[in-house]
Amino acid sequence: MEAPPVTVMPVTGGAINMMEYLLQGSVLDQALDSLLHRLRGLCDNIEPDTFADHELVYLLKGQQGQPFLLRARRSLAHPAAPWHLRYLGQPEVGDKSRHALVRNCVDVAASHSLPDFLNEMGFRMDHEFVAKGHVFRKGAMKVVVSKLSRVLVPGNTDNTEQLSLSSLVELSVLAPAGQDTMSEDMRSFAEQLKPLVHLEKIDPKKHT
Amino acid sequence: MSGGPAVRVSIESSCEKQVQEVSLDGVETYVPPLSMSQSLARLAQRIDFNQSDDSNDEDVSSSDAQWRQEQEEEEGVVRFQPSLWPWDSVRTALRGALTEMCVLHDVLAVVKEKKYMALDPVSQDSATAKVPQVLQLVSKKRALAQAGSVLLRGAERLSRSVCETAESRRQRDFNSELLRLRSQWKLRKVGDKILGDLSYRSAGSLFPHHGTFEVIKNTDLDLDKKIPEDYCPLSVQIPSDLQGTAYIKVSIQKTAPDIGDLGTVNLFRRQPKTRAGALQWNVCLEAAQNVLLCKEILAQLSREAVQLKSQVPHIVVKNHIISQPFPGLQLSISLCHSTGEKKNQRSPAENKPDDHLYVLEHNLHQLIREFHKQTLTSMVMPHPASAPLGQKRLRLAGPMAYDKSAIANLQSNEGLLEKIIKQAKHIFLRSRTARTIDSLACRVEDPQIQAHWSNINDVYESSVKVLITSQGYEQICKSIQLQLNIGVEQIRVVHRDGRVITLSHQEQELQDFMLSQMSQHQVHAVQQLAKVMGWHVLSFSNHVGLGAVENIGNASALTVASPNGEHAISVRNGPEQGCRVLVQRVRGGGGGGGGAGGVCVSGGGEVVQDLRWAQLRGGYREVNWSRMEGRNFIYKMELLMAALTPCP
Amino acid sequence: MGFTCVCQVPVAEGKSVQQTVDMLHKKLEQLGAIKHGSFWVDCETYHATGNTSGQPTKLLYVMHNSETPLSCMALFEGGPALTADVNFDVLMLKLKSHFQNAKGHKVESRGTRYRYCDFLVKVGAVTMSSSARGISVEVEYCACVVPGDCWNLMKEFLQSFLGANVPELPSVFATKPEGLYAPSDCIDTMTQYLELFSKVRKQQVIPGGGSVR
Repeated sequence: MEAPPVTVMPVTGGAINMMEYLLQGSVLDQALDSLLHRLRGLCDNIEPDTFADHELVYLLKGQQGQPFLLRARRSLAHPAAPWHLRYLGQPEVGDKSRHALVRNCVDVAASHSLPDFLNEMGFRMDHEFVAKGHVFRKGAMKVVVSKLSRVLVPGNTDNTEQLSLSSLVELSVLAPAGQDTMSEDMRSFAEQLKPLVHLEKIDPKKHT
Repeated sequence: MSGGPAVRVSIESSCEKQVQEVSLDGVETYVPPLSMSQSLARLAQRIDFNQSDDSNDEDVSSSDAQWRQEQEEEEGVVRFQPSLWPWDSVRTALRGALTEMCVLHDVLAVVKEKKYMALDPVSQDSATAKVPQVLQLVSKKRALAQAGSVLLRGAERLSRSVCETAESRRQRDFNSELLRLRSQWKLRKVGDKILGDLSYRSAGSLFPHHGTFEVIKNTDLDLDKKIPEDYCPLSVQIPSDLQGTAYIKVSIQKTAPDIGDLGTVNLFRRQPKTRAGALQWNVCLEAAQNVLLCKEILAQLSREAVQLKSQVPHIVVKNHIISQPFPGLQLSISLCHSTGEKKNQRSPAENKPDDHLYVLEHNLHQLIREFHKQTLTSMVMPHPASAPLGQKRLRLAGPMAYDKSAIANLQSNEGLLEKIIKQAKHIFLRSRTARTIDSLACRVEDPQIQAHWSNINDVYESSVKVLITSQGYEQICKSIQLQLNIGVEQIRVVHRDGRVITLSHQEQELQDFMLSQMSQHQVHAVQQLAKVMGWHVLSFSNHVGLGAVENIGNASALTVASPNGEHAISVRNGPEQGCRVLVQRVRGGGGGGGGAGGVCVSGGGEVVQDLRWAQLRGGYREVNWSRMEGRNFIYKMELLMAALTPCP
Repeated sequence: MGFTCVCQVPVAEGKSVQQTVDMLHKKLEQLGAIKHGSFWVDCETYHATGNTSGQPTKLLYVMHNSETPLSCMALFEGGPALTADVNFDVLMLKLKSHFQNAKGHKVESRGTRYRYCDFLVKVGAVTMSSSARGISVEVEYCACVVPGDCWNLMKEFLQSFLGANVPELPSVFATKPEGLYAPSDCIDTMTQYLELFSKVRKQQVIPGGGSVR
């Protein structure tokens, strides 16, 4: 019998245990330019890229337990690009000495029928926002500096309102579980951004 | 000699009487006052005559000593008790002064006479000439002032120019030099060192060599010495493995040395002499960067050579990669790295006309840069920004449901080595095709071959148009025009009528094909000629199925009849067997043209005499072609046809 | 990807699935089709666990096709469909508290690909729980993506080796809101397979079927 036993998931090439290492911080609009300037100098020599994304956060409420949260994101600047569907696990408690927040992560690139499909699966949109900003890379590290805006009329991304006078700075690395050396690299990179921005390990649970 | 010491001698008694003792009752007993002479003697004793003038100390003492000796002779009595005589020292001093005055007087007298002695102004004791020089001094002062002002003006001009040179020197100083270095090279400061980056990493290179150089301040320079012309306050230190010059050498070798010229003009770069005053560091760094790039090319090629599977495995030996594009042919790519000291070690072999394939060497450099660019451009930022980093096109593959072939296309990355081998094959095939055609054209005079090469071609494809013509008949015989598209492995021949023939890389195939085309051309040409001459084509075949079998291709044949139908000429031409021409005439024909032009056409014995059989054709007689007049086949043919055509 | 038509071929009278498949292969080879590797299509079934509102649970099908090895297709019967990359499978693992994999329901079709000029023919044996249940024939006309333009050609070609078993125009094209002249895509193919699989699932186990290969 050539076919695999039915009980085995047909995971053909999916990356099963990917982890996101994350450091976050924020920068005031006044200091944004100098931060971008520094990032341009520190990061890889690729044309600096801006982005404009629309993110929808979906919840699936089950009978028991916590609701299941998925983030669906599409690019406003590149409407033909696939949607990005993202599942983020709970931050690992792990050891305190680790410099970055570590959480399980599943990234799915999906076709444009994603919102309809999620609705059909029983997900309901919780909230949505527009993020615009700059994205940099340094090796495996990705730095996203984004300005978040609230969507005033659901679904209309033209009608937005800025959330604050500062931008969100995220330094992240995607790696298979157990690659803690990553967090060391991230820390030294974050050091170089001081004092413009202090990137820290922020546990989202403590802020809710 | 200055005059005697100017001593002011003031004589006074400070106190009349000195208290010797105060008794208990307050009565003071005085010391009896010194007599006039006593006190004078006492005071005079206090005077130190020698200390009056420091500069003349020695003179005085020497004259003192001299004088004392004289005195000893004169006054032997007092000699043993000089202290007993209170005026002794005074007398000595005064006497010395007198002597000196006398000497002075003499000297002045002598000087005044100017007969024996002149005072030189250099001498320090200008005091002697003081009085007459006052006026001179004034005039001298004025002259000096004038000279001084001239000098000052000059000095001002000089200082201005010195200022300017200092300015330019300042420009050449370390910091400005560093700034210039900084504008062309990537620098960073590590600790107290300044390190630079030679690597192509920022341009997309993945070569692991760190490629750093160190900037050194050249300060140990003697400021007093003349600054050498090529002095530069900044120098760079390049890692030892990147020093010297390097280049990639690509060559094609064949076991037999008849490979021919592959466009190997000797344009080997002589290391350009560094211009004086040129930026030495820039020359250094560019050379080192070139070494680095060459190393990267070789590393990339070696890696691919090991990974790539081919029928004949590629061989990598040290700095050498050997590949076999075609059987019996060897493509070798090697890295030649010469550090400066080894210049003399050039083996004589290198002085031979080198067999570089400069085109390929250039293309290798171009390819590695394309490769760099590809790594840069394939890493575009994800959209939306939250998506993971990675190749954009692979990100699309999932949601766009790319099928296998599309994914394979995305991933197919033809390596540097594959590309360069393909290019080498093409270059080889092209040059050999050219050689084959040329040698055929030389060997075969009739028909003629013309090859028109296109100037513009691709790295993998070029084309040549081959015309086969007969001399003097170019206008009427345009039968064979071939377009040869030379590819990587094979040659595609496009016939004028649209037929496509694919030839392999074997030289023989092309040669055979050309020979068969040339033989066909002759028959075609006769056909064209027949039309012009008014003859009728009775039959024509490119590939005759009869007769002896040719080794190459097929023979072609043609039969034409004269305008009045009395004669027929049959031509058969094969690539190997050459041509045979036969002439047939009508039985009943008078054989008017018989024998004309050396053609032996004779009617056979006629059995059927009836006139109606006269139009039947008779037997064929072969023409002794080699004895025909005419410079080429078609000209001979024209003569033959002309001979067989009855005069109007 | 061109226009694709998937149909079920009944098992010949008195023959096993494998024998019928072999017959089809022979016919194709006689036509001049050339063997061109193998293929497989599989389908997993999930059902939602936390069904609070008493409506009947919709089944979620997650399918893979060897033709598009980096993709994963998720479909609802008659509902929206999603094309995603293979990480979707990983996501379904994360979602297992909400969507349960009906393990006994995995259906797949495996077989040989044939190429005949511009046609790509895939004859597969449909298996469910390792028992052969039927035969699927997929024909793709690679030169055209608009079904309306080449359906007749397709039909003629199908006739040449299926004989009387030529299917009607697949409903997935007929019911498209844009009509017959909208380009087809991989979801159309997977929808046809899904229909075929659910037909096979409902049908009785063929007595002589047995295991394939």
